[in-house]
Amino acid sequence: MKRKLDMDRIAEGLGAERRGKVSATGGYFGAMQLLADVEAKFRVPAGGGRPTDPRWTERRLVPLALKTLERLEDITAWVRKHGGINLEPMQLAALILEKTTSQLSEAEAEKLVRPQRRASH
Amino acid sequence: MPKRRPKTARRRPVLSGGLKRVLVVLFVPSVERDGVTAVDQPRWVNAALEMFGRVFGGATAYPKAQGIWRDDERGGAPVKDEPVVVHCYTTPADIEDARNLAELGDFCRRMGRDARQGEVGLVVGNEYFAIRDFAEE
Repeated sequence: MKRKLDMDRIAEGLGAERRGKVSATGGYFGAMQLLADVEAKFRVPAGGGRPTDPRWTERRLVPLALKTLERLEDITAWVRKHGGINLEPMQLAALILEKTTSQLSEAEAEKLVRPQRRASH
Repeated sequence: MPKRRPKTARRRPVLSGGLKRVLVVLFVPSVERDGVTAVDQPRWVNAALEMFGRVFGGATAYPKAQGIWRDDERGGAPVKDEPVVVHCYTTPADIEDARNLAELGDFCRRMGRDARQGEVGLVVGNEYFAIRDFAEE
């Protein structure tokens, strides 16, 4: 069975900061692809701002509860401290949205938006 | 009646912990942080190959790629770079070994210091690590 690497231990042993995931494959094309991936993800984008995913070109206002924002802030603070990744709460929100959208079925989405029926006593 | 094949001993999985399946990638820069002053890149590529060979058993350097990045700590100056990408396959045990990590980290700090870099980049498995503090340990 594949053993998961202890990335915190590796970061500590190297004296390095964990910056995030990449897709690394072998061979020349793998090397060139990885280089482009690293340049795009971990260098500052030409238009300014924080390092981000270059595919995120759309912007919309998303209403959310204060409690949700606080939870996002707590998680990003933890990620900054333990993962060494400089992440903002709404960047995390965008990541969660991307992941959930790709996994959510139409039926599950319908369940989410359907008003909850109260249990009758 | 067909003969039953004798049971064979359970085979070891092909990708077991002892095999070299962790990819470590080091980027050897071509220019200093100012984006102009050339680094003695062949010397650092050689040194990286020697270090990987000695510590992890081997490595491959791929020819130059062209890149550019913006250094925000220097007023957003664009830095054009043609890094050499060095690939090394190793085992989970070897990459988690404290002595090996110390040697790899020392090499990155020495290169960062001598080649006047803002950051030395390293990929282990599927994660990017940045070394920015080049003080000797």
